[in-house]
Amino acid sequence: MSRTVDTSKRSVWIALGVAMIIHTGLISFQASRRINTSFIRVWMVDSLAPVEKLVDRTLHGVTHVWENYFALVGLHRENEGLKAEVDELRMQLEKQHEDILESQRLRKLLSIQESGIGKTIVARVIGRDPARTNQTVTIDKGVSHGVKPDSAVMTPQGIVGRVIHSSNFFSIVQLVLDSQSGVGVMHQSTRRQGIVKGTGGQELELDYIDDDNDLKEGDVFITSGLDRIYPKGLPVGTISLIGPRRGLFKAVQVRPAADLGRLVEVICILDHPDAVDVIDPTQESPVP
Amino acid sequence: MRRISTFGIVGKFIVALITVVIFQGILSLKFKAFSYFDLPLICSVYYGFTMGRPIASVGIGSALGLMQDSLSGAILGTNGFSKTLIGFLAAVAGSKFNVDQPITRVFALFLFTLGDGLLVTILGLMVNPTSSTPFGGAFGGWLLSATLNTLLGLGLFGYYDRWSNATT
Repeated sequence: MSRTVDTSKRSVWIALGVAMIIHTGLISFQASRRINTSFIRVWMVDSLAPVEKLVDRTLHGVTHVWENYFALVGLHRENEGLKAEVDELRMQLEKQHEDILESQRLRKLLSIQESGIGKTIVARVIGRDPARTNQTVTIDKGVSHGVKPDSAVMTPQGIVGRVIHSSNFFSIVQLVLDSQSGVGVMHQSTRRQGIVKGTGGQELELDYIDDDNDLKEGDVFITSGLDRIYPKGLPVGTISLIGPRRGLFKAVQVRPAADLGRLVEVICILDHPDAVDVIDPTQESPVP
Repeated sequence: MRRISTFGIVGKFIVALITVVIFQGILSLKFKAFSYFDLPLICSVYYGFTMGRPIASVGIGSALGLMQDSLSGAILGTNGFSKTLIGFLAAVAGSKFNVDQPITRVFALFLFTLGDGLLVTILGLMVNPTSSTPFGGAFGGWLLSATLNTLLGLGLFGYYDRWSNATT
């Protein structure tokens, strides 16, 4: 009996040891970059993201039906005297309104596509970071659509982030809010250059600006193009708060121009004149 | 026949684990506040407590963590390492303590969430020490996450308990 218990205990420790060695190995391979582990992520994302996309689409469909039918059933009950024809017209109107909103959104995206910032593609956001350790989203475009690591991602309002991992049909986008994100920026009116860094929260932080004496709340920052990821001149954000000086620079908070909490469709910039050349599209991004 | 039932059980587990990770990603996208919850962690702790099989708990934690890492863009293995350890510790706790008591569950969920945040951050910093997140800010996030996870976990555990009692 005691031998059985010992064997069982031993197998538990062996299982724990094996699992720990696998995870530690994965971490150390990525740290040393000696062995390319990106195929594991590509395989996992290609397997999981289609399910995520399916669930997202289903939820979208259910919401659409709910908003355009069941919500109207409630109204119908409250207004029993109204004719059925009125309900039907209202439903049609709601649907058309939704179509108009969608076409307005797509028209905005298309106008950006035609604005000469390079080759672009529109992608749908299908999921957000399930681990809370990073500020990332999953989009439904990958290497097969031309999206590769370090492709810039934006909305008509401003930049969103950059692609850090691409599988065949999906990509992971690091938002500018991520604590490891940095963007080369330029003050729109004075043309002074600096770097805007993510804080992991809702705001960005301005750093390394040439002269911060005449900055004021509401000032707009655009991309400088010096990071060779984002094309020059895209909106980044506006100053929301200027705090006391910390060391060489003032503590300056910047509110992102794009609404990063409500991303539905985004534009991936596949190619622009200042872009960094990526040798292998399936390679993990150098700085995740 | 036994093999078919084993495959069925394993298949159900795989579907459940994928569902948990996918729903965490989608709910975080739809409701921003949901990013403070960690369904995979709650799932690891629950299976650790209730299954009474440490090897399976280790496997479940490991799979959940690896899926989270893949979809989050984090360094592969950080959440895997953390969730494996949590699955194992939950299984050990399940065999040593009375984990049916709400107070034990509250302590366990709170401490496991804090431990998970700390371990993932340390592992992330070991690989990429350029992270600029202030430690104080991160700790505030962990505390909020631990509180919310505890509340959600208690609710879900109670629901699963009632459901499993009704079906057995």
